[in-house]
Amino acid sequence: MSIIKKIVTFKPGFNLRVIVGLISVVGFLSACAIVGLGDLSKALGAQDAKYTARSIEAGAKVYFEQCARCHGADGKGIDSQGPALNSIAFLGKTDAGREVQKSQRILDIGWVGNLDSYIRAVTTSGIPLKSSNQWEVIHPAFGQAVGGNLRDDQITDVSRFILNWAQNPATSGTIDSPKPGAAFVPKPTSAPLTPEQEAGKAVFLKNGCNACHAIKGVAQGNIGPNLSAIGTDAAAIITAADYKASQGKATTVEEFINESITAPGVYIAAKCPTGACPANVMPPNFKTTIPDADIKSLVAYLVSLK
Amino acid sequence: MAIIGKRLVNQVKTTGLKATVAQRADETFQRLTTGLSWDDVRGILRGDPPPKPNPRVKPHTEGFWFHIRPTFYHEATTTLYPTFRLGLLSALFFAIEIITGIYLMIFYTPSPERAYSSMIDIITNVPFGMFVRDLHRLGAEVMVVVVTLHMLRTFITGSYKKPRQFTWFTGVVLLIMTLGLSFSGYLLPWDQLAFWAVTIGTSMADAAPGVGPTVNLLLRGAPDIGAGGLLRFYLLHVVLLPFIGIVFLAVHYYKVVRWGISLPPEMEAVGEDSARKVSPDKRVNFLPDIATNEIMYIAIAMAILAISCATWYRAPLETHSNPLVTPNHTVAPWYFYWLQGLLKIPHIIPFLPADIANGIDKFFANVIGITPKVLWGIIVGPLVFVALAVVPYVDPNPSRRYGQRKIMLTIGGLFTALILYLSLAGIPTGVPITGFGFVGGAPSAEIGQEFMPDEGDGNLMRIPFDQMVVGDYQVTADANVANAPELNAIIKELYYDMQRRMNTADPNGRKLSADTVAQVKIAEIQPDLKQITLVINYTDDQTSAAQEFSKFKFIHRDSEH
Repeated sequence: MSIIKKIVTFKPGFNLRVIVGLISVVGFLSACAIVGLGDLSKALGAQDAKYTARSIEAGAKVYFEQCARCHGADGKGIDSQGPALNSIAFLGKTDAGREVQKSQRILDIGWVGNLDSYIRAVTTSGIPLKSSNQWEVIHPAFGQAVGGNLRDDQITDVSRFILNWAQNPATSGTIDSPKPGAAFVPKPTSAPLTPEQEAGKAVFLKNGCNACHAIKGVAQGNIGPNLSAIGTDAAAIITAADYKASQGKATTVEEFINESITAPGVYIAAKCPTGACPANVMPPNFKTTIPDADIKSLVAYLVSLK
Repeated sequence: MAIIGKRLVNQVKTTGLKATVAQRADETFQRLTTGLSWDDVRGILRGDPPPKPNPRVKPHTEGFWFHIRPTFYHEATTTLYPTFRLGLLSALFFAIEIITGIYLMIFYTPSPERAYSSMIDIITNVPFGMFVRDLHRLGAEVMVVVVTLHMLRTFITGSYKKPRQFTWFTGVVLLIMTLGLSFSGYLLPWDQLAFWAVTIGTSMADAAPGVGPTVNLLLRGAPDIGAGGLLRFYLLHVVLLPFIGIVFLAVHYYKVVRWGISLPPEMEAVGEDSARKVSPDKRVNFLPDIATNEIMYIAIAMAILAISCATWYRAPLETHSNPLVTPNHTVAPWYFYWLQGLLKIPHIIPFLPADIANGIDKFFANVIGITPKVLWGIIVGPLVFVALAVVPYVDPNPSRRYGQRKIMLTIGGLFTALILYLSLAGIPTGVPITGFGFVGGAPSAEIGQEFMPDEGDGNLMRIPFDQMVVGDYQVTADANVANAPELNAIIKELYYDMQRRMNTADPNGRKLSADTVAQVKIAEIQPDLKQITLVINYTDDQTSAAQEFSKFKFIHRDSEH
């Protein structure tokens, strides 16, 4: 008990107070100095590296949840799904953070910013143009700002993860865009419709064609054949054997489309969205219900779909 | 200017240059020290006894900072007991929090888009940023401890009694402010820890009958915590609560000076307050004794705090908050464990059979019409502070002598023990003995949580990067991967952890099946990035079906887990 009493009634003398106080002040100042000198030299950099590393870890998680499905777990791309990211063509090459080979992708599309800003832009808002017709899947817009599910910091993380491949990008086995050896051809934006084609589009909608036929961006019908590229498809059909064996007499694309509208029974297309096309479903009386001028513009519109 | 110059010239002419300079220097010196001459200060620094009349009281009448301090203390209050300097330290930590807080405010933006990246900036790019954040966080936790001890000390020495009842009352308000400041600061880093701890805290307000949803909406600014909630907590943290705190601190301190620091109980006649009646031979002057004493304690506290933050202490920062993912084992801050324990009543009563406890739950829900959560968390929880606040007004005993306060000291002791027990019971691992409130899933998931937790670091993540040798490894007692001693050690640790879970049931009565096998898989994903996967194949103890548990983490070379 007497020890406890000594402790609780302890009263440091003046000299002791000054000495202990000074030692403590020196301790406090040296702790500050150690931190300060550390910050000046490389401690901040070490922290920077640590949190960049954790950002890459978080980015890996996002990549495997969202991106690997199309770009592949190894980042080498999946044919007809998504192009390679882990590729020397896409990433170029960096050595210790310094760019030693420029990204071909950036050069191809004439992107003004760097690869990081390109990756962020595409991840956030989707691909700005359908750069070649190699890819059927359009890049989704992942950014929360445009209705996606990734926060800005997650997009930063995933960009850091992708760029982490640039130290040693894959040089083979990658599905690059454009395909290796092929020239990069930006897909031309489709020409605007002529007044007659525009009128034909109105005829298409007014007469309910859209109930059964799909045209990309215009109609979603799924009973009859998809007409999104009928201008191209028709050219193939009229030379095909099964058409020649049918009662069809068309020799040009215009004639074929006209015939299909006015006499739908003569040739039944083979492929419809839900399987083989059914016969006797398309009304046979459009020749009488739609004025000839309207049919003409409708044909002109459909021919333009390629 | 001309007049001053003329006077100076005249003075030099009459007294000589040397005397003039000495006189002018002393004048300036006395202005700075509010009344102490150089000789006085030298006397103070040399520890000389004060001359008579004592010039060292001059700053107390001349200067603002000294005038709010008493000129002398009673000798009996200058030893470690009875104050233990806890009031001084509480004020010191409040000051540290304000200063470090202002520094952090410069670099912080209270918006969900920027808050977390502000934290990263503070840690990685702001000079002293991480240090100041560590000081702020550690200081806050220590402040809770110091304030609580300060109150406990005041209770034990009976210093809340007449005439200091209101001092005690303001002290209880300051305790609430301390907890409120600490809690409101919890949300600001906007990481998972912050987001979910505060979601849990505010959801308790939601359960309050009648006003609960409104209070919750006011706090969060929306049904869920988002931009509005973050801004509100920020404003609470940096404006409202500090403002109330400073106001009550001023009142509290004024009362302390007005009534003096209470003497040790045994030195006073019962019912008498003699702290202000100090005979001259018992007086200890503020200058230099009390001042140097305080400076010493402040210096020691600051040094310990600063050295801690420069060496071992790191304020936690988890991953960015994600409202869609609740990490396993989310907990409230430790100083609210007692409240969590309170919510588990009656299940925390030792040796109370579970049937009876469940019966009490049902009785509350069906007969009284409120759930125990509401009763204990919303009604009884705040009542604890009300009970504390009214202590001096309901304690009828005028005596401060320990021997004459057996009832009150017993109540105090039981109360302290109860709070400690409730805190223990509030820990997510469950109540001692009964294990009620144990938060845990299947044993396999618990292994995953222990070795690679959702947030924070586990042992599997701490293996040095170079020892994460790519390959698939069976978890056995004799793991033997070449050149990877730490990997082997962790695999062995995993093995023994599994053995333990096979042999002893957790508080929910669940065991790991005896046929369980586990694998650790390490794959290289990128340069400097590896994926470590834990796969556990077991037979589920509830459905008897073969199950596979798998969990993975990505580990970068520089991430320092």
